Amino acid sequence: MSNVLRPYLAAVRSTLTAALTLENFSSQVVERHNKPEVETGGSKEVLLNPLIISRNENERVLIEPSVNSIRLSIKIKQADEIERILCHKFTRFMMQRAESFIVLRRKPVPGYDISFLITNTHSETMLKHKIVDFIIQFMEEVDKEISEMKLSLNARARIVAESYLTAVRSNHCFKVNILLIS
Amino acid sequence: MDVNFRKIDIDAFDEEILQESELYEQDPRDPAQALDEMKQIQGAVRSCLAKNDTVGALSAVLEHAPYGPTMEDAKIVSLQALMTILNSTKATEIPAAVKSLSQDSQDTLMKYLYKGMAMTGSADTNASVLLTWHEKLTEVAGTGCIVRTMTDRRTV
Repeated sequence: MSNVLRPYLAAVRSTLTAALTLENFSSQVVERHNKPEVETGGSKEVLLNPLIISRNENERVLIEPSVNSIRLSIKIKQADEIERILCHKFTRFMMQRAESFIVLRRKPVPGYDISFLITNTHSETMLKHKIVDFIIQFMEEVDKEISEMKLSLNARARIVAESYLTAVRSNHCFKVNILLIS
Repeated sequence: MDVNFRKIDIDAFDEEILQESELYEQDPRDPAQALDEMKQIQGAVRSCLAKNDTVGALSAVLEHAPYGPTMEDAKIVSLQALMTILNSTKATEIPAAVKSLSQDSQDTLMKYLYKGMAMTGSADTNASVLLTWHEKLTEVAGTGCIVRTMTDRRTV
């Protein structure tokens, strides 16, 4: 792991560990209902202070704890237009399959790219440190994944341009070469 | 048929509904008074830093930290004062400085670290410095310190 990323992930890890102290909590308003309080937001006393951990303006994590659930939202680094598109496609792909990831939320919180919702049921049925590890591993992988996709996309675009343009006219080869070099 | 009445939040009219002000005790100081006090402390912090007294500077800010919704101006001044301390402290001196603070001051420092990270980009906050401090403070004060930051309603 790079030296720059480590303190950021360490801060997320310790905050998440601290926030993952959840208990079963029935709705205060409706009898026999049990909802994640961070989503309903109906009562002030069960919501705790939201915390933001940021690495720079473009990369940050928002952790919203409450008595029986926490919501963790990640803003992924997007340096240019291609990364923005790739990030959108990638998170959309995951969020459409949210039930396979169990803790993933179907929609991100406004201003963030991907959100996780962890409830007391999750922390009871799964190991707490494993949930934390999963989130941290996701954060490590996602940057790598997007930069890899960007590289392969560029390589593919190069091959496509090459085969397409050589087919158009052979005496344009000179121009094509210039195009490819630039 | 008019169905807008369905959108009225009837729980808000409950007699026993919890108000924001009942969750914590207000800061006894007047906002203007707190702002003056923080400006004086900002001056004191500079003289402490000139003498290389990081702990003195830190505790001066942290023990008189303004809190509550009315204190916005004083909060900004105190955050600026704290950021000057954090930015001017060497990484090797952080553990010793953090250890010598009282538990209450450590909790308040943690609140300021999160506030600083939330404001990255807008103020003169440096995320990598804040992350270094966060790591050292967590090593000394443990995750309990973070839990107290989350549960304490007296936000700085």
